[in-house]
Amino acid sequence: MTPIDWRAVVRSELGNVTRDAASDEEIVEELAQHIAQRYEDALASGLSPAAARLRAVEELRTSGAMQQELRQARLAPRPAPTPPPTVGKGSIMADLWQDLRYSVRVLTRSPGFTVAALLTLALGIGATTAIFSVLDAVLLRTSPLAEPERLTMVWETDRASSTTREPASLPDYLDFKDRSRHFARLAAFMGGEANLTPTSGDAVRLAFLAATQEFAATLGVQPIIGRMFTAEEDRAGGPQVVLISERLWERDYRRARTVLGETIRLNERPYTIIGVMPNAADFGVMQVLTLAAYGRAFADRDRASRVDIWLPLQEDAQTLPRDTHPIFVVGRLKPGSTLELAQQEMTSIAADLERQYQSNADRGVYLESVNDVLFKRVRPGLWLLLGAVALVLLIACVNVANLLLARGTARLREVALRTALGAHRPRLARQFAVENVALTLGAAILGIALAVIGLRVLVSLAPPEVPRLSEAALNLRLLGGAIVLSVVIGLAFGMLPIMQARRLDIQGALRTEESRSATAGRGSQLVRSALVVAEVALALVLVVGAGLLLKSFWTVQRVDPGFDASKVVKAEFQLPRSRYPVNFQVWPNFVEMHRFNAELRRRAEALPGVEAAAIAGNHPLDAGFTNSFQIVGREAESRSYPEISVRRVTGSYFSTVRLALRRGEVFGEVEPQAAAVAVINETAARLFFDKREAIGQQINFWGAQRTILGVVADEKIHGLTSATPPAIYVPLQQTPSANGAETLLLRVAGDPRSATSAIGKVVRDQDAGLAVFGVEPLEQTLADSIQQRRFVMLLLSLFAVLAVVLAVIGIHGVLSYTVRQRQHEIGIRMALGASPERVTRLVLMYGARLAALGIVLGVAGALLLTRFLTTLLFGVTTTDVGTLVTAIALLTGAALLATYLPVRRAVRIDPMDAVREL
Amino acid sequence: MVSPHMTHTLSREVKKGSVELLILALLEERERHGYEMAKQIERRSRGAITIHAASLYPILYRLEGRRIIEGHWVEKAGQRRRRYYRLTSVGKRSLAAQRNTWHAFVQGLTRVARIRPA
Repeated sequence: MTPIDWRAVVRSELGNVTRDAASDEEIVEELAQHIAQRYEDALASGLSPAAARLRAVEELRTSGAMQQELRQARLAPRPAPTPPPTVGKGSIMADLWQDLRYSVRVLTRSPGFTVAALLTLALGIGATTAIFSVLDAVLLRTSPLAEPERLTMVWETDRASSTTREPASLPDYLDFKDRSRHFARLAAFMGGEANLTPTSGDAVRLAFLAATQEFAATLGVQPIIGRMFTAEEDRAGGPQVVLISERLWERDYRRARTVLGETIRLNERPYTIIGVMPNAADFGVMQVLTLAAYGRAFADRDRASRVDIWLPLQEDAQTLPRDTHPIFVVGRLKPGSTLELAQQEMTSIAADLERQYQSNADRGVYLESVNDVLFKRVRPGLWLLLGAVALVLLIACVNVANLLLARGTARLREVALRTALGAHRPRLARQFAVENVALTLGAAILGIALAVIGLRVLVSLAPPEVPRLSEAALNLRLLGGAIVLSVVIGLAFGMLPIMQARRLDIQGALRTEESRSATAGRGSQLVRSALVVAEVALALVLVVGAGLLLKSFWTVQRVDPGFDASKVVKAEFQLPRSRYPVNFQVWPNFVEMHRFNAELRRRAEALPGVEAAAIAGNHPLDAGFTNSFQIVGREAESRSYPEISVRRVTGSYFSTVRLALRRGEVFGEVEPQAAAVAVINETAARLFFDKREAIGQQINFWGAQRTILGVVADEKIHGLTSATPPAIYVPLQQTPSANGAETLLLRVAGDPRSATSAIGKVVRDQDAGLAVFGVEPLEQTLADSIQQRRFVMLLLSLFAVLAVVLAVIGIHGVLSYTVRQRQHEIGIRMALGASPERVTRLVLMYGARLAALGIVLGVAGALLLTRFLTTLLFGVTTTDVGTLVTAIALLTGAALLATYLPVRRAVRIDPMDAVREL
Repeated sequence: MVSPHMTHTLSREVKKGSVELLILALLEERERHGYEMAKQIERRSRGAITIHAASLYPILYRLEGRRIIEGHWVEKAGQRRRRYYRLTSVGKRSLAAQRNTWHAFVQGLTRVARIRPA
């Protein structure tokens, strides 16, 4: 007779018992031996083999499902790994190593807790470090310029138009230099764009600064190699010398020192390179230009511009007379002088100049520290983000503290056991400490990885006007601080079981599966509940903040820009004077320019898929410049009017961007010599003509009286969140640009993204020496204009989501723990007749109390803190009721979700378990 | 007041509770393997209490999980290895406590329901 394979019999009855194959093997073997013995005994007592076998197999069958029982029994807390010997043997290092290994085993035994704690801490550490690193690089790190707090922008102001940040005139600058006592140095600069013609390849557009000789010394920068131009070289008609940027030097010359003396061609004229400026030399230039009322040059055309060329200004009072204002003045205060003193002095100098010169009527001076210029716009957003991240870190710490507390109370039993077995408390304490430090350091490593990734993401998503963003690197001070904080929390909360064990009844702790010692439980329960309430409150504050920003952003996006950006693609270029001469004697008959424009428009319109083509001096989101003007017949009144924005466009512009006509008509393609005409926008009509009819009136500027033909809608040329200034649209043919800068706009039938290569090509086909840039769908330009807003909103929303998730984990944790602690009580209640619904209500009420308290505190906090958001909001107040209500609803829902699992657990408690413990 | 839920599981639970005590008492004498415990219980109770593998081993594993008993594999010469269980010091204290509880329970039963123990 073949021997029976009892293991196979067991397997066929039970299948897989546990998920662990090794465990299964042992159970199967033990059971197999049992029933084998039973079989033998049955045989010995006289039963037939078949009957004996039946008797044996019956052992495995009962009314209850044996697999279930075995599985539950097996999956009950498995025997803990043997703790290290309680009396230290060998060196401290060996002990610590042993402790560490034990800690790792213990932590992997409760994966739920370990993963939750690791992730929570890592997220807190990683997020805070990444944001703070950005803040540090942008706001806190020392400037590359010497003593930056002494650098001051000397803006001119115009009382008539109420502008405070205007460029100055050159003669004014010379007078400032002459008369001021508070400035050690004053320099002037202006921005521009040029085509660089390389030896091979396409022309490239470069941004340049034309500056006076003092520029480098004023800022406190030195050329890396070579020299700055001298005063001799900085005069009208001086030599064509240039300094290039470090960036350009690296890209095109591979940092070869032989670059000095080489020639480069800018706008087809040769310039000799005499030096290389460090990358820090254009520090703040973009911010200065962007803030200016006009004269912003390349700042409007491409916000990511970096200055690559420094030229001597080479102008004098003849070429730049007192009534033109093209230059920006920056000064370095003398040691001992303050901004206030300097302001007083400059104001009085300006008053003198006003008395002396007619062209300086209504002009004053405004001093602004360069640091303010640089950081004023980005400061609020960045500090807000730091505040949000600090809140998230706080919530994360609270969560971890909660997790540790819960675990600590659960481990009381282990502590009691090991104390009963003779463990010294200090030894236990050390081992617990090692375990907690292992956990927090593990989280720290994970957090560093998150910080690195987070930083990279932040830098790539952030808007370009954030200064020094590219220099952001992991801030090690903060990282160290965050790690130390985590270790402290870990130690503080993790050591609780040791301290609580002192007051413990060891017998009581050992007798039951979970320690229910009243004193130990209640105290920590209160702390945990308080922590959860705090979590919910903080999460609500973040959600409200994010909600307000979201609503703002949504409102901004719905603003009507005044033109239709969809299906429009643009390309920008600059016509160099060498081939398109600018001769003001024959203005506006710039023949070559007109010919180019007419031919370009013709070719562009002929492209397949193009519905309309237009050429403009500025695209709709480029603020361009303003000019003073007079209304014919009301000249005296006109002196008090603000300057008007000048939009130079071909007649097809209006149909290309779909700028709506309100009254009258627009001009078509007009000849330079034809009667001068113009169209004004609604704001101009309202401001200057009010009740009177604008159409038919004449506006005098740039040497001609221009008849107003019609009134068009307002375009948001200063951006979606700014009011439209008064503007006048004049035919490009009658007002060609002095610097050759133009934009080609095409309305296409298909996807504008597919037209980007065609639009660049059509310009270069006509003139291969032109650098074409800024080629993108106009919708992209529109989206980019609200990039900073979007960035802050996205980040804050991310933090809010994180905060809510953490709060949910927190509520869940506390409730689960409470249910476990009160298992006995709940079981008794159910044994005494409580229905599952009553138990559900019991647990839910507890959770609801926590959440409600947290929400109330959170609302108060939100009302207090959201005022810091004011500068970032648009169309929404900080106390917006809709947002508050939505946030409350969201958190209530989250709290309900968090109670789901604990409630289920409570309802499934077997009352018999409770009764058994009687 | 006892709920209906309670009564029909009571007999099963009473038995489960007492088996634990029996196992601990047996192990107090010396270490044993599972089959031996089942046989001893059957024999000493003269057939009043029988326990099948399906009930025995879950209880043994639960006790082991609570560190009241401790199991280990023993390999004797010429035999298959068997799993033996022994009482831990915790288990000893638990046994003593359970004995007291049962004693009080039985005394109470006697007084209330006038049942005379064997």
